[in-house]
Amino acid sequence: MSSPFVREFEEQLRSTKDLLDRRMTSSTSTATPMKHDFTRQVEEVQVPKDDINALILDYLTMAGYSNAAKKFSKEARLKPQQDHASIVARQQIQHSIHQGDVQTAIEALNDLDPEILDMDESLHFALLRLQLVELIRTCHAAPGGDIQPALDFATEHLGPRAPTNEKFMRDLEETMSLLVFKHDTLDPSIAVLLKPDLRRDVADKVNKAILDRQVWRRDAAIRDLVQMRAWSEDTVRKETTKKDIPARIDLSLDGDDHLPEDVVMT
Amino acid sequence: MSNPFPHGSAGLPLDASFTGYIPSMRSSYASITSATNPNSTSTSTSQPRANRLSHLLNPAHEMNSDLYPGRLSSMFQNHAMELERGSSTPDGNMPSLGARVPQLPPFSRAFQKYMNGGTGDGLWASQYRPSAFFTPSYLKGSSYIQKLEEAHKAKQAQKEGQQQSGGTHVSQVIPGSTHTKPVSHHGMTYDLIERAPLLEEDDSIAPLPTRWNKDDKHGGLEVMGDGQEVKYTGPKPVGEREHEACAIRADHPMPAEAGIYYFEVTILSRKRDDTTISVGFSHRPVSLARLPGWETDSYGYHGDDGHVYAGHQSGKVYGPTFGVGDTVGCGVNFKNGTAFFTKNGIHLGTACRDVKGPIYPAVGLKKQNEHIRVNFGHTPFNFDIDGLMQSERNKVKQEISGTSIDKLVSPPLSETDLIQRLVLQFLQHDGYVETARAFAEEIHGEKQALRIDPSTQVGGINVKDDEDATRRQRIRRAILGGDVDQALKYTNIYYPHVLEDNEQVHFRLRCCKFIEMVRKSAEFNNNNHSATNGSNSVIKKSNGRPRMDDTPNEMDLDENVLSNDDKMETEEGMDADALLLDAVQYGKRLQAEFMSDPRKEIRKTLEDVFSLLAYQNPFHVKEVAHLLDKRNRVAVAEELNSAILMSLGKSSRSALENLYGQTSVLLDYLREDGGSGSFVTVQSVMDEIPKSQLF
Repeated sequence: MSSPFVREFEEQLRSTKDLLDRRMTSSTSTATPMKHDFTRQVEEVQVPKDDINALILDYLTMAGYSNAAKKFSKEARLKPQQDHASIVARQQIQHSIHQGDVQTAIEALNDLDPEILDMDESLHFALLRLQLVELIRTCHAAPGGDIQPALDFATEHLGPRAPTNEKFMRDLEETMSLLVFKHDTLDPSIAVLLKPDLRRDVADKVNKAILDRQVWRRDAAIRDLVQMRAWSEDTVRKETTKKDIPARIDLSLDGDDHLPEDVVMT
Repeated sequence: MSNPFPHGSAGLPLDASFTGYIPSMRSSYASITSATNPNSTSTSTSQPRANRLSHLLNPAHEMNSDLYPGRLSSMFQNHAMELERGSSTPDGNMPSLGARVPQLPPFSRAFQKYMNGGTGDGLWASQYRPSAFFTPSYLKGSSYIQKLEEAHKAKQAQKEGQQQSGGTHVSQVIPGSTHTKPVSHHGMTYDLIERAPLLEEDDSIAPLPTRWNKDDKHGGLEVMGDGQEVKYTGPKPVGEREHEACAIRADHPMPAEAGIYYFEVTILSRKRDDTTISVGFSHRPVSLARLPGWETDSYGYHGDDGHVYAGHQSGKVYGPTFGVGDTVGCGVNFKNGTAFFTKNGIHLGTACRDVKGPIYPAVGLKKQNEHIRVNFGHTPFNFDIDGLMQSERNKVKQEISGTSIDKLVSPPLSETDLIQRLVLQFLQHDGYVETARAFAEEIHGEKQALRIDPSTQVGGINVKDDEDATRRQRIRRAILGGDVDQALKYTNIYYPHVLEDNEQVHFRLRCCKFIEMVRKSAEFNNNNHSATNGSNSVIKKSNGRPRMDDTPNEMDLDENVLSNDDKMETEEGMDADALLLDAVQYGKRLQAEFMSDPRKEIRKTLEDVFSLLAYQNPFHVKEVAHLLDKRNRVAVAEELNSAILMSLGKSSRSALENLYGQTSVLLDYLREDGGSGSFVTVQSVMDEIPKSQLF
């Protein structure tokens, strides 16, 4: 892990940080009188580590990062929020969906909770639709692609379900247009179906549905906190004129606001 | 909050004096655990008369059992009574209570409520005492009530502190209050830092109206029933002048910070049917010689015609008339500046708009013998104000969940990416090296799986192999595992100046070490006893008797489960006495060094932690068990971590902590005039998480 690129990256980080420091020396050096009232007040807030640790463990657990959750529970000495096996089960289903292997995901989901898809039609439809998209993708990728398997799948699995729901109908029509048109000339609203976002989206839905059945919650608490932060800033800017807050409230994600794309994990 | 004795049981100050260090043999302790809870019928527990050193000094007198229910001597009872009497009658409202108490055994406090309620207005008295803390049902869990309660507790603690500072120098543990939520008693580490600022904040929190203000009324009104009732007892108004009336305001304005304020008035009696009563609110300087609603800046719902008057001589048609036996409610929504009224639990619709504070609950009476009683939230309301509050909260929640997070960072990140970044940054910042690595790998795996084209290179997430992070984690792990020596050693090797420069942190670490030593010997004792003494009373105790508090037992379990990977190093050949003597030795050194320290909080902390020695089994003594709470380790570990980060010139806070702090301040801004921030708290987010426990 401590390979040369790591050091290189650290170097890079450091120089960015130095640059930032130089740019805002007045606000980063300790105890300068220039500090904005808001910043000062934020610093005075007691942020209990208990809370932060709980948020982290909750997130790792709910989002299905089984190894990280296990390690964190060890490092922070917190009792696991859910047993390792259940997290792994959710993680694997999500992983299958991320890979586009919907069939495996559906089977695993049925093993885990045989009722879940019967009870949630739109979840089932979303999965089947993604499966169709993946089939179409495979057809198009193959030279002279045979679209028959995709057509068969659509007729057999999606066709009968679509008429029950207007949205299903629309979704199916959009998806079918992927079969008809060339993929490099697609309307952006349709092309988006071919992006990995659809896989992520469906995987999230499945994860939430499982969680809902298991623990009666769908989302990690940290998500609510982040939204609450965004909402409260918006609202203060909109409604309260007498409160002066900085033009930009920085989270200080170390000044590197985008992921280093050039570094590869070893 | 219906507990009429919010801070009733002070417990007895610990009698042990540490000037000679070895705790005094007289250090007996009577704690009237159940007295503060009127619902509980359990009885008091007396602690062993022998302290933990007694068997060393005087083995012949060793006690086998910790429980001496029969030994609760009358001396203790009387002493405890006196304490309680003293604290529950600060305003002389309960003379009868004071006279009655000494005749009763301590557990009968459980029934006192009913006894007093039956004999007169003793119940009122205790409930409406100005110093009594109550929470109107609809404000439960709100940030406003949290702050109010904190301020209240701080005030109580200050009062107690003042009372005690006059007496002899005694070691004591601030008694845990028995309010709905446990006090944030994180032990000594927090006591030092949390208390001071709270007192300063005191004045900034607007109190709740609690009673009618007898100094803010007009004419012949009489305030009765501990400030809750108002009666027109004056002479008949001369010449029946139509516009004349007598009004009265509450002692405090409605707190806008609560978001919604609501109170109810019940009409008890009046002489004839044609009389008129007005329920509403008004600004402070507004004349009280007329009914609320008629004067500018006053608003009222009038019983004779059912009209609403908003600062005018003429009103508008609003609701039904009301009279004897009816309960009329008045609510103000500070978020949108509207007011509404209710009659007998039915919402009558929005009555007026553009209502602005500070406004006082007010009521106006016109005729002789008109008599009303108010409910400022001491008791349940007729109208389902809780439901209304909940629906307001849900509205805001919905607004929040519809918010885009795009603007939080630039360039914008998707929600998933942003949260991943926040979590990863926290893990690295706080030195959770292994977790950070595992997390980065899992994110990487996820990205790889999501590739459409397998030949695409996936940008890896690089976890800095940060030497500092590893070291800090090593230090943290040592503290969390109870091995303070190890932590001190590492700190001195890696960061030689940190302890020197952060004397308080150093001091706390050493107190922590002392506590761990005591823990070790107490655990050793416990294990030994359960192993050798088979069926004697010690075993019963650790199996948990129904009458005893459960928590210490859970804690015991924890200890046993953990003793292996805790590295407790139960040195072979070491016996309990040696462990205890070790602790004593270390304590002596600590004391020698800090005995004459001018800082009060340092001495207080020392006294607190030394009091652990006074008990055979401190895990079972509620007054000191919190010192052994493992959360204290977390607090100390994080303080040291912050100190190290600061010494490295790094921010002591991660981005996630910044976000938390920023949210908390921004919400405060949104609360000031009862805006939407009044309806949400950061705590409500934390409450979604199943209670996480340390192990």
